[in-house]
Amino acid sequence: MSDPINVRTLPPGTRIVTADGAVAEIVSNPADGVWLFARYVESPSDPALVGQEDMIFAQDVVEVRPT
Amino acid sequence: MATAHVGGYRPGLVDLKTGQISREIFVNEDIYAEEQERVFARAWLYVGHESQVPNPGDFFVSGMGEESVILTRDRAGQVRVFLNSCRHRGMKVCRYDEGNTTVFTCPYHGWSYGTDGRLVGVPYFREAYHSQLDRLQWGLVEVAQTCVHKGTVWATWDKDAPPFLEYLGDFARYLDQMFDSWDGSDGGTEILGGVQKWLVPSNWKFPAENFSGDSYHNISHRSVDMVGAGPSGSGRRDMPELNLARKLHIAIPDRGHQTTAYLLPREVEVPAGYQHSPVVSDYFKKCEEARRQQRGDWGRLITLVGEVFPSMAFLARQPRTIAVWHPRGPHQTEVWRWFLVDKNAPQDVKNFLRDYYIRYSGPAGMTEQDDMENWGYAHKASRGTIARRYSYSYEQGMGTEVDNYEWEGFSLPGSVTDLTQAKSSEHNLRNLYRRWAEFMEASDWDELASWRRAQRAAAE
Repeated sequence: MSDPINVRTLPPGTRIVTADGAVAEIVSNPADGVWLFARYVESPSDPALVGQEDMIFAQDVVEVRPT
Repeated sequence: MATAHVGGYRPGLVDLKTGQISREIFVNEDIYAEEQERVFARAWLYVGHESQVPNPGDFFVSGMGEESVILTRDRAGQVRVFLNSCRHRGMKVCRYDEGNTTVFTCPYHGWSYGTDGRLVGVPYFREAYHSQLDRLQWGLVEVAQTCVHKGTVWATWDKDAPPFLEYLGDFARYLDQMFDSWDGSDGGTEILGGVQKWLVPSNWKFPAENFSGDSYHNISHRSVDMVGAGPSGSGRRDMPELNLARKLHIAIPDRGHQTTAYLLPREVEVPAGYQHSPVVSDYFKKCEEARRQQRGDWGRLITLVGEVFPSMAFLARQPRTIAVWHPRGPHQTEVWRWFLVDKNAPQDVKNFLRDYYIRYSGPAGMTEQDDMENWGYAHKASRGTIARRYSYSYEQGMGTEVDNYEWEGFSLPGSVTDLTQAKSSEHNLRNLYRRWAEFMEASDWDELASWRRAQRAAAE
């Protein structure tokens, strides 16, 4: 369990790491503190996700990659 | 205590033959609960104005009866109305009054919905639901029908309700005066400022009957008239018109809508108004002239206060406003008031009207304060065991209404009472309660749409 990350403030273009080790780039942020729209860049557990857009749940975000 | 079912509504509680209505329909909690189902879940209700959601993703949180609803424009540009309640545990998915968004996210567990109502985000969809949840079945609850009419947005929960324009029937011509530009052109109004919201300690039917055409209560506003805070010099702004015109109450019996109106003589110019501002005075003078040219006889008719059954009221003449009476229990009503102006009016006119509207309407408006005091105290004084035994009188002007009313060669649809001599009538109020009783008694829209039976009979 990592410290909670305030996803509301993350701008498009930011790369995030999810709990299962995937890396995704934020496409848009509805700023509801719950969801991010992001495109997968890396997905070791499910490579088929790479390139796909998905909604990422805030509690799944474990790290914000420095830009 | 009387209940909703003892003796039916018309003979027992709403007695239109004698012109008496029981206080129970205002204060009885069982009746209140039943009217949520029979009236508010079946009728067309005003939700908002299209100008409040001009862009995709715009939303405005409104109400339909006791329900919170979201009026939104989806990404495809379609106006939609949804129940503001998450399908998972019921939490409001939108707690802002208005704004723009891509998704409505429930703050409780995080279910998230697109502006088209589809469930798009489910936390741990793969892990906890094993990708098995059928998201298509769990979108936001959408109203059964929506209609955008001259910029106004209406909705009903009942799929069997007739289309909105059929629901209005002949009343549409009167109501449209509210939504068209004052010069008679189509659909040229916009909302001025925000929506005023406040609570009144009375049943919602008190304001509903007041705006149906209770011209008997003008004595309540005498202090405002005496202060002379109107925009046209001393006294009531509309008094010069009133002195020239036929004063009419117009009801559409099979629909339950009603309005008050002035019908001006054909050859007489509309008297000047708004003398406190030459710009505004000149604007409305030109509008009146254009209106007469464009609308002919209909341009002579000035719709005043009215009510679209059950809970939308309007004041078509200045201050031009829409009010909705949201029921908040039998003993409380939340009033929402929208203010309209001609979209193309000069900014000086809009500014002037804004000040006038605030001074007149709403919880701080001098006129509406009088009304609120009446409704609140009348309701409170009707709740006691003894008070409930005594009906209200709605006998005024019984039997004086006429169909096919005509004046100077202009015939008006509906059931019309000419009050030029009589001063006042409660015909419009009886019309409201007749329709209310029909809604409370009817099992479905086959019964409620009585005009369809008449049309079918005529066709056979």
